Amino acid sequence: MARREHTRNLVVLALVALALTLVPHGVSVYLRSFLLFAMMYVVLALSWNIISGFTGYTSFGHVAFYGVGAYACAILVADYEWHWLASLGAGAVVAAVMAVVIGYPVLRLKGPYFAIAMLGAAEGTRVIATVWDSLTHGGLGISLPSAETSMPTYYAMLALMAVTIVVAYAVGHSRFGIRLNAIREDEGAAEALGIDATRYKLAAFTLSAIFPAVAGGIQAYKVLYIDPPSVFFVQITIAMALMSMLGGKGTVVGPIAGAVLLYTAQELTWVNFPTAHLIAYGLFIIIVARFMPRGLVGFAINRGWIRKGMVH
Amino acid sequence: MGQRPDDIALDVRNLRKAFGGVRAVDGCNFAVPRGKISGLIGPNGSGKTTTFNLLTGIVQPDAGQVLYRGEDIAGLKPFQVFHKGITRTFQITRVFREMTVFENMLSVTSLSVPDGAARARAEELLALVNLTHLRGEYGGRLSYGQQKLLEFARALMTDPDLILLDEPAAGVNRTLLQHLLDHIHRLQERGKTILIVEHDMNVIMSHCERIFVMDYGVKIAEGPPAAIQRDERVIDAYFGRRRQH
Amino acid sequence: MERSDVRSLYLLGAFLVCAYALPFVIGLGAGTVRGDAVWLSYLATVVVGGLMQGGVYAMFAVGLTMIFGVMRIINAAHGEMVMMGAYFTWVAFFYLGVDPLLALVFTLPLAFLFGMAVQKVLLNAAVGQPELTALLITFGLGLVMIYTAELIFTTDFRTIPYAPGTVQLTSTIAVGQNRVISFAMAVVITTTVFLFLKFSRLGKAVRATALNAEVAMVCGIDVRRIYLVTTGLAAALAVAGGALVSIQFGFNPETGVLYTLQAFAIVVLGGRGHYVGALIGGLMLAVLENLVSLMVPGGTAMVELAAYGLMIFVLLIRPGGLMGVKEG
Repeated sequence: MARREHTRNLVVLALVALALTLVPHGVSVYLRSFLLFAMMYVVLALSWNIISGFTGYTSFGHVAFYGVGAYACAILVADYEWHWLASLGAGAVVAAVMAVVIGYPVLRLKGPYFAIAMLGAAEGTRVIATVWDSLTHGGLGISLPSAETSMPTYYAMLALMAVTIVVAYAVGHSRFGIRLNAIREDEGAAEALGIDATRYKLAAFTLSAIFPAVAGGIQAYKVLYIDPPSVFFVQITIAMALMSMLGGKGTVVGPIAGAVLLYTAQELTWVNFPTAHLIAYGLFIIIVARFMPRGLVGFAINRGWIRKGMVH
Repeated sequence: MGQRPDDIALDVRNLRKAFGGVRAVDGCNFAVPRGKISGLIGPNGSGKTTTFNLLTGIVQPDAGQVLYRGEDIAGLKPFQVFHKGITRTFQITRVFREMTVFENMLSVTSLSVPDGAARARAEELLALVNLTHLRGEYGGRLSYGQQKLLEFARALMTDPDLILLDEPAAGVNRTLLQHLLDHIHRLQERGKTILIVEHDMNVIMSHCERIFVMDYGVKIAEGPPAAIQRDERVIDAYFGRRRQH
Repeated sequence: MERSDVRSLYLLGAFLVCAYALPFVIGLGAGTVRGDAVWLSYLATVVVGGLMQGGVYAMFAVGLTMIFGVMRIINAAHGEMVMMGAYFTWVAFFYLGVDPLLALVFTLPLAFLFGMAVQKVLLNAAVGQPELTALLITFGLGLVMIYTAELIFTTDFRTIPYAPGTVQLTSTIAVGQNRVISFAMAVVITTTVFLFLKFSRLGKAVRATALNAEVAMVCGIDVRRIYLVTTGLAAALAVAGGALVSIQFGFNPETGVLYTLQAFAIVVLGGRGHYVGALIGGLMLAVLENLVSLMVPGGTAMVELAAYGLMIFVLLIRPGGLMGVKEG
């Protein structure tokens, strides 16, 4: 891609970030909250996309990192009186270490087995959080000390989203991203052409774990209470996967668009159909997965509106 | 054999590989001469495919050595073999289908190579195989012949010294085959070493300077085409009474 | 088998031995293990009861392993189909006054049709696609099933009082009557399915397709039809499982989630597409769960952990499980 295009995209991002910076002051707490979570899902979808879209290893347990980040923040702030921002850093480190430790053995597994293993890992982490109550307060959950957190967490999430977009963009449009794609397309051929798949997969996996962890931490500080089921919620992983798929797996714009669209649709549905909204959500998942596996971006590429490929 | 060490590109010594009870490669020895086009042939079940996989790191040997530039590369992983300067192509093309032709090319150079150099090399090779006009198309949308050319060009991105070709003639029409062989000869003229595994006897006999024949997991004959064509052991291996067709 | 293949099998065996020893070790430390005859007979009861429970698990896991084996796709709604079976039975029992086992006569064909419909409408498109497609589709299906059930039946736990009382198997071992009946029924159904797969033409076609769909097609097998039969059969087995579970334990719309994970664990342990493997896996998982429940303090969370732990370690040691090839 020409430097012009990169600059243009950067400017667009800066403008959007600026708009989002100014917005929260004039709006209701609910809307601020809505924007925060929409941004959070952008972060989650983009992160998931790095390992599952670019590299092709479908992680069905990515919520584990989100939950670990949430717990890192909650434990450090509530029990050890850390500053919440510092706890976010700690959460990122823990998630990175966890990603390397889990990733090294698990990334050897092929497609469906990797997905199931990650699902097991996420559920296992949830159960461990429930059982290890000396550290995590178990099923009771952790309450954080009361504070006015709506604004600070909004800005933190905005900053996180901006960083995640830049990183995902840098990965997606670089030769690093191309090599990840090669692993997805044909790992054997990629290895025969000099790509050390183990190292690249591990790098992608670790990178994809850090941002959800920070997002989890921010969310914990915002809501001021977490417990294992709320934070290791399998539907968060589903949301990540669905948003990426809806927008277009393996691209940068795709997960962003998918996250915004899906989260907005979810909120609208939930508000208007409180009882049936989960049934509608289930139907929506079925329809998207069944009929639009390439997502919106794939559709646009087929129509010729967008160029094929990520590096030109 | 009278070859000096630096005349030899790849020295295969006593290579062995068994799958369960089957000894696919059973003490295979041959030395691929530097700067020439060589062929590796043998009837079905001779072990030549397994040997090829052993050389490229896809399969781990049970015993034996593969010396390349004085170093034993037997048992190295495929990406390590690649970084020693050895490339391979595949019998059935394995281009990256959902990536563009240009991206297919760029995927090969290691990240330490600057972007500009990688792109320049990619453009150069695409021009060589006449695929420049398709650089923005998905690899999977190319015709089979175009995919073969793409895979060939892709393998040359890092300017390897030893190129292993896995049945380059498979499924390819005459014209394209001639193109490929022209490219192969040009590579050889520039000092590259090429080893072709093939079933197509015409290709082997017409283009290889040295031929190694395998059967039952060992090399049974080696020599120039003329000698191989007359070699009784080779004829016996392909058409002999032992063999049930 | 190649050397590394055999090695991984031994490693898996060693791991399983450790897995079974672990509850005892923890129990000794936690004081839940006693050496007297009373406790030992209790242990025996738990093991026998676990085996019987495992028979039911194995039955519905066979369905999951069939889908995975024949079509290479994952059914994340399998537990919900079990749950559906439980509710079918409950409705038949409370609203139609039909004996739960007799109800199978019409719930099984219903389930078969349901499975075929799911395959035709939703899953045919997912065959051959990356695993995410089927995972998401079936997950969505599961959600729809859970919340529809919730809408109709609420989240209250339901039970079916059936065959109370115990059966004295030996002088020291007594197992609940409902459990024995469930086990017997599971054996009957599973045996029927095994015979079908081994000896009937359609069954052989299913196995052939699982081994190599392309070759099966060339041999004249209508692969699409096989897919329909496979999912239909899997759904029927799941619903049967639900029926047999419903007469032993309480259930609500969300209990299917745990059954799905357990079924995954069983399929992984037994090996993708291996029916006997699913049988062995089902028995082994149930016994392990019961041992954990008996000796490891910490409640149901520990039982869950046992299932996930088993699954993950099998995946790390030998993804193909006991009966599959090493990589799966």
